[in-house]
Amino acid sequence: MASARFAEFAAQDAQNHGMKLRFTHPPYPLVGRPREVLRKYVEGNDPVSGRPLMPQVVDALIRPLTEDEKHPKAARGKPRPRLLQPDTEENLHRLFLENGWTDGAPIVLPTEERVAHMLTGTAADPNQVVGQMTVTIHQERLEYTVEKVAVNAVMVGAGPEHLPVILALAASQETSMPSSTTSFGRMAFVNGPIREEIGMNSGLGALSPFNHANTVIGRAWTMMTLNLGDARLNETFMGSTGNNMNYNNMMFAENEERSVWEPFHVRKGFRKEESTVSIFQGWSAINSMGAAGCCRPAQEEMLIMMQAFPCLRGALTLVMDPLVSKHLKEQGFDTPEKLSRYLCENFTMTAGQFWGSDVVYSLVEPGARNGIEPYASWLKLPKDARIAPYTSPDNINMVVVGGETQALWLTTDMWHVKTVSIDPWRPKSGVYKEDEKAARRRQARQKRHAAALTASGYDI
Amino acid sequence: MVLKKATPSTSLCTVLDPRGQPTLVVKPLPLAPRLDTLEGKTLYVVDVGFGGGWEFLEEAVDWFSRHMPGVKTVLQHKKGNMFVDEPEMWSELKQNADAVIFGVGG
Repeated sequence: MASARFAEFAAQDAQNHGMKLRFTHPPYPLVGRPREVLRKYVEGNDPVSGRPLMPQVVDALIRPLTEDEKHPKAARGKPRPRLLQPDTEENLHRLFLENGWTDGAPIVLPTEERVAHMLTGTAADPNQVVGQMTVTIHQERLEYTVEKVAVNAVMVGAGPEHLPVILALAASQETSMPSSTTSFGRMAFVNGPIREEIGMNSGLGALSPFNHANTVIGRAWTMMTLNLGDARLNETFMGSTGNNMNYNNMMFAENEERSVWEPFHVRKGFRKEESTVSIFQGWSAINSMGAAGCCRPAQEEMLIMMQAFPCLRGALTLVMDPLVSKHLKEQGFDTPEKLSRYLCENFTMTAGQFWGSDVVYSLVEPGARNGIEPYASWLKLPKDARIAPYTSPDNINMVVVGGETQALWLTTDMWHVKTVSIDPWRPKSGVYKEDEKAARRRQARQKRHAAALTASGYDI
Repeated sequence: MVLKKATPSTSLCTVLDPRGQPTLVVKPLPLAPRLDTLEGKTLYVVDVGFGGGWEFLEEAVDWFSRHMPGVKTVLQHKKGNMFVDEPEMWSELKQNADAVIFGVGG
């Protein structure tokens, strides 16, 4: 049985797997519906077939199999030719838009010449297989080469200098929009020398649309998810509201220079001179309004904000301005790990609050029922008993970004998925030699910003 | 100031397909043979864990007791969450069940 809202999805999924499953569809949703309503569903009709629901279930179990059901065929995709049929630019733009090969914003058409230029940004062979992706765990994965990644990079307006980071994201084999009815969001940030080499923004307004590199790299991840991860609305992607993080995936560079702590990638075992991209997954980000230092320090404000999250995975990532990291260090948190431990030890919620979340109950309760601790013990507690649901400091991460105009941070429910190296995807020369004028303009901006920070008198 | 209407280019352009290649890893599977009747048979009803599914399936089991009392029903939870495969569950079902209803997806 699959509820009626997912009838099309279930049929498509079964077909993709070469199975002619016999589905019956009760109305949707079931969660939170009174018992008498559920009984009416059982006594009523399948809204998709229009037939009485339970007799249809019985029929599915005893009706002899058809030849198609005995000898099914998978609806396998045919290999796709490298080039599309030649057409006018206008028609090709319409083709990409109507087929869902774009995010809806204008694209650059991936001509052979543009893709060849893009490929000068890496030493990798265009035919090298980079990986496989799918947005949903029960869908066939699509395979992609370096050239396919370059095609998507061209489409979002990236330059060859951005390609190594985009290839590293592709090599992670993580899509930017894993399909869940809960509408996942992603975050990714870059560490290491490549941040400066390609002009990423780690300072003022780094998460806002003011920087070419941040913008196109973030967008490229989603473009790859659409085209290489096979994200198709109502077929493979079922996020109910969707998530506007999906447009750019909170792409930025860590402000290593202004942070009081070791860079994130060094804390994860990489060398400082390596360039990496770190990938996170969650749903939400809440902007703090700061802590009034006279009344409440930042770490206590963080504990208050954490109450907003259901704590499904016991994970959290704080995205903070350099000023916040500086204040925290002054409070004794000279490493991020100390802050992680503080938050784990001092945050509590009631058992009722924890188990009252539908997603927590659906995903965690089965393990609790089967004796997995500490959930099994929490399940037996009265609703008002307090628990400390962030059990592992390793799952609480910090990253520093921003321009020091306000000591604020984002509290996110993101967990760290993986950190991957960018360096294997660089060109032989190390980095694509970009346009000199653009480099000069960027350096001038950075110089002005550094001068402003020095003039503020609040230097690290 | 009079703006000229833009005239789309009619020259043809060749571009690359942006999509990944199918991997063709799916193996088709036939359905399990059907029963002649459910009368006297053991029917497992397995809740995969989506919210409200257990309560709905309790009502479905109750329907069998009222309308087809000759069917023995066994309602149980899937041990892990809905996204985890459980080979031991399949073994148990193959050994003990004549038929199985899984639900409720979504």
